[in-house]
This record gives sequence, structure tokens and C-alpha cells, in this order.
Amino acid sequence: MRDRIGEYIMQKNKRVTRRQFLKSSIGAVAAFTIVPRHVLGGPGHTPPSEIFGGALIGCGGRGNGTFEGLGPNVEKRAICDVKFVGRVDNKMVYTDFRRVMERKDIDVVAIATPPHWHALISIAAMEAGKDVLCEKPMTRFIAEGRAVAEAEKRYNRIFQVGTYGRFGANRERHKIMASGLLKECKAVYFKHGGFKVREWSGIVNAQPQPIPRSLDWDMYCGPSPLRPYHPHRFGGTHRGYWDYEGGGMTDMGQHFFDRFQYEYAKDDTSPVEIEAYAPPAHPEACGMWGWVELKYADGLTLVFDSEEWGERYSRKEERSVNLGDLDEQSQKKLKEMPDPESLVGFPEAIRTRKQAGGNAAVSHRCVSLMHLANIAIRTGRKIHYDPVKEEIIGDEEANRLVNQPMRAPWHL
Amino acid sequence: MKSSSKLASFVNQMPDPDDRGMYCTDIDKEKIEKAIAQIHKGGRGNIIAIIDMLVPPGEGDDVKAHYALHCLALYVCGLDDDNRRRRFARTLASQLGGSRPKAVQRYLVRVLQVAGGREVVGALGALLLDEELCEPAAQALVAIGDGAAKQLRDALPRAGGKCRLTIVQNLGVVRDVESVDALKKAITDEDSDVRIAAAWALANIGDPGSATVLLRPTDAQGWERIQMTKACLLLAENLRAAGKNSEAVKIYTHLRDTRTEPAESYVRDAAKKALTAAGGK
Repeated sequence: MRDRIGEYIMQKNKRVTRRQFLKSSIGAVAAFTIVPRHVLGGPGHTPPSEIFGGALIGCGGRGNGTFEGLGPNVEKRAICDVKFVGRVDNKMVYTDFRRVMERKDIDVVAIATPPHWHALISIAAMEAGKDVLCEKPMTRFIAEGRAVAEAEKRYNRIFQVGTYGRFGANRERHKIMASGLLKECKAVYFKHGGFKVREWSGIVNAQPQPIPRSLDWDMYCGPSPLRPYHPHRFGGTHRGYWDYEGGGMTDMGQHFFDRFQYEYAKDDTSPVEIEAYAPPAHPEACGMWGWVELKYADGLTLVFDSEEWGERYSRKEERSVNLGDLDEQSQKKLKEMPDPESLVGFPEAIRTRKQAGGNAAVSHRCVSLMHLANIAIRTGRKIHYDPVKEEIIGDEEANRLVNQPMRAPWHL
Repeated sequence: MKSSSKLASFVNQMPDPDDRGMYCTDIDKEKIEKAIAQIHKGGRGNIIAIIDMLVPPGEGDDVKAHYALHCLALYVCGLDDDNRRRRFARTLASQLGGSRPKAVQRYLVRVLQVAGGREVVGALGALLLDEELCEPAAQALVAIGDGAAKQLRDALPRAGGKCRLTIVQNLGVVRDVESVDALKKAITDEDSDVRIAAAWALANIGDPGSATVLLRPTDAQGWERIQMTKACLLLAENLRAAGKNSEAVKIYTHLRDTRTEPAESYVRDAAKKALTAAGGK
């Protein structure tokens, strides 16, 4: 364990923080002192005004990769994981993310915990004035995403989800769809396979096991029900349980559909009708499903075909949208419209305070696709969704999965 | 065939876990659904018999019964016949509070979170003072919504420890206006988790009289200060949404004038922006 912690501890760096620098630089200018090169910056030298204090919350498999996504000018000053019990110094190593949020020298936070903590830690970080890069999937259920987007707006913080599909999207298609010139969308977008349904299923006959001494199991469960410990609920295989994620659907879906959502200009809406073909779901363990069909109000259809269970989807044929779907006059109008603005990556966003391309509001809509699909799978019923109120229409029991209760003291 | 052996044969139609202990191999949707429909036909007796098959984790194999009971909950929710759903829920609720193991009762509560309604809130409310069951009971209550607030409100004066924290938070979730006074008292609780939960609950309820309580100067630092600030901003937003602009302006002005440290400049900025939007100075 010591070695694993050691991997995350960077050499102590005596450079001042961005905030300290901004505060002290006024005095420095007034005193007209000679300042060293690295303070001024220049080629090969990063001035401390551009050095951000960073923290990594969740130091499992994706931890370091996610932290690197913060950009080159972020200094790791804290690491936090519920498996660090007995190693905590509350200077560099933590088990309780709240202590990290209290630190004033942390500007940016990378979150690579299991997803049942993503929303709460993202919100807590923004409440503490920090910017956030959060691993996908952004949330565990729909209401969490709305709360993250509200926190992003309330505190004017930068948020980016850890997937970048939209950055490589077809911009012409986005322009067509965003233009409003296409009145009816006949497109059918397919995703065949790749959902890792079998791989990220849960064990239905798990027997309780002793909790490892290095693990704060209560904190791990956090807002989710406190269950007996089993190693399969932890360390990657957590993906197979509704308590923490949502199977391969949510694990892979945000990667797949971030691009789709941007191309088809669905960043501010959601499907209105969702139907799944799946056997009755298990109450705790994620399991098999065949396909899910999601329809938008404008006619656009999205199909997830797992190719891992049951009969294949055969209702509709794949069809995309391109310039030929517009009449000549509309094509002319489209040409006159400005091209979509370039999307901003996280390192640039925290420097310029411009909203990141995969910000909370749009990423919430993306992960909502997977949550809606999972609700249809878990209830076994066709779902009608109101994308404005973000509620399921006429199905009170299904709506309970949109906003799931949390274990105190955790709340959105 | 005897009814008990008939039931056992239907329960046995549920899938066997595969070699990884998962429901990934030979999952026959039609077979499961047919068996569940047959079990449901047997009514209350069958449901109780399935509950009898449940055991606490680690004390035996109840995989099929566990799954079958959840499938029954899904089945009754999909029937478009609320009487049958209610009958199912009442049967489950009748098995709470007695001598069944707490782990089994916990599972029944979770099934009620899926399929229960107003008809079971009394039975769930009776568990709010039980340290082992208060969390799932409160979660099932707030998921059901209808009738939950009264159960939580009535239990609060007698609750302590974890149960008290759970109830305080969930009174905020259900936005119980009648609990405002009790929550205002809880804001001075000796447990910081309770204080934070109470502040959030008052903010979520959006009671205009709570502004004074939330703005009262405290020496809260660190996490608690962050959370108290959040409660203030949330309350102000809720007040604005309810058309109570002057109360919201008071909160934003307070935050603008008190969050003067550089590390809290983002709060000051948020308050200033909201103040402008609210028409304050």
C-alpha cells in the first residue's frame, strides 16, 4: 500500500500557489524587486500565476490518467481515497474528500472514484471554489446531473467530464441540426455492441466478506445503501451494481454518445420515448439486456443494440443526416450561418475561464441517455419522458429512479 | 400438486447464477415472466411463502426467492391495476416490525421502495426509530413521497443519532413546511452533520423566515462554512423562484459583504451576479 501511495506523491514543490501569487504579486510590483525568470514565464518556464494546485480524489485504475487530463500546469498537492485508512496525514494523503475541499491551495480537482460519488464530489468541489475534471459516467442517476449543472452555474466554475467524443464530431452535421432548418429528423443512429454488458454484470449470490483494514467501507458506500462488503463491489467490478454505476451501459455509453449528442445538437434536450428489450432486472446486480430504442421529439431515433442477449433490434434501418436532407434554399441559408464555435478543452478553460466543451450541462444530457435506458431496463416498461421537467410521465414508480434517495449525511 | 410445491417449482424457474455468480447465461425472459405471473396468481399466500424463503446475507441460498420477489414488484407495477399493486405492497408491509431478521426486513423495505405507495407509509414510518432500518425506511418513504412527511415529522422528536440525522435530511427532501421550527432548532445541534442537514433542509423548503437563522453569524469554518454558504445560496434561489425577491436580496447582500477573503471571492462573485439579476444594489 505504501508503494501505491508513493506513486501519487510528487516531490514537494516550493512554488507559490496561483492565488498566493496573485495576492503577493501586487506587493512585488510595488517593491520593484528583481524577479527570477520562472516567475515571469517565457519559453520553457511556467510562471506560478499559471500553476494550479490539484487534487486527485479516487486513486484507482483511472486516477492518474484523469489527473493528467487537468493539463500540464497542475501540481498534485493532495490524493484522497477510501482505501488509504491508516496512511492519512491530512497534508498529502486523505480518505475524506471534505478535508481536501477545505484546502485553499487546491484550485482543481480530478475525480476518478466510482460513479456514485461523482456528482457529490463534483458539487462539493465547485461549492469550495474549485474546477472539476470528472471521470465518466458523470452521474449515477438523472437528478444528480441537474444538480451538478446547477452548481457549475451557481459558482461559475469549470467542469469537464472525462470523455472527449464531441471534440472529434462532424461539425457540418452539428451545424445542420443546430440550424433549425431541418423540420423533421428521420435519422436513426445505431450503436452496435461494445457495451460490455456481460463483462460489467454483478454477482447475484455474493456472500459477505470481512472488510479490509485499509478500507473505509462506510465512506465507500457513501450515498448508496450500506451493503455487506464483497470485493466484487469494489475496485472496477463495482460497475456491475446499481448502487455504484449502471453496468457496461453507463461505463461505455458516455464515450459513445458524447459525439452523437453534439453532432445531432441534442445538448439541451433528451429523448421523449424509451423502450427496452431485456429480461426482468435484478434488484442489485446489473445484468443482461438486448436493445434499447430512444426517440426524440423531432423524430430522431437512437438505438443501443448490445448484441449480447436475445434477438437483435430490427425495427428500423440506420440513417444519418447530411446536407442532402436540406432543400436548396435551406442549404443556402445554412452556408450563410456562422460555423459552430470551437470547443474548449479543460486546460484552456481553467486558464481562460471559458466554459469547457464537455461541461456539466451538456454532459448531464449525455449521461441521461444511459440512465433513461437503464430505467426502461430496470422497470421493464416503456418510458415517456419530459425533457424539460426531467421527469417520467405517468409512471410514478419509474420516476423513483430519476431522483434516488441518498443515505445521510449525503445530499445533492 | 400441493400449493407449496407448486410455488417452489415456479420459484425454481428463476435463473441459476452462472459460473461467475451472475445472471448472464441462459436468461429466459419469457420463462421468468410466466413463472412470476403464476406466483402472483397465488396471491398473499405465495408472497408470504417467498418471504419465508429469504435469509440474511451469508446465512443460506435465497438467490431465486430474492429475485422472484423483486420481479413480482416489477410485475405489479406494470399491471396498470393499482389495487393489485396495493395488495402486494400491503402484504410486504405486514411482515415488517416483527421477528423476521433485520436484513430480511431491510430487503422488504427496498422492495417497497420499488412498488409501495401511500398504503405502506405507516408501516415504514414505524421503522424510523430503528437504527438498523431507519435509513432504508426513510429512503423508501421519500421515494414514495405521498404521506412521507408526516411519518418523518412525527418520528423526529423521539429520534437520536443516525435516525435523527436521517430524518432531518429527509424532511428537507420532502420539503415539509410544518417542520420548519424543528429544523431551526436542529441548526444548533451539537452534531455538525445534523446542523448542515438542517440548514440544507430549510433552504430546500424555501421558508422565508429561515433567512435570519441561516445568516446568523457563526464561527463555522472549513466544510461546515462551505455548506452553510451553499444553504444560503439555495435558499435565496428558492425565495426568488417563489417571488420573494427582497428576502433573496438580503441573503445575497450578506454573502457579498461577508465573503471578503480571497479564497471566497467566487462566492462574492456569485452573490454579486445574483444580486444584479435580482435587482439589488
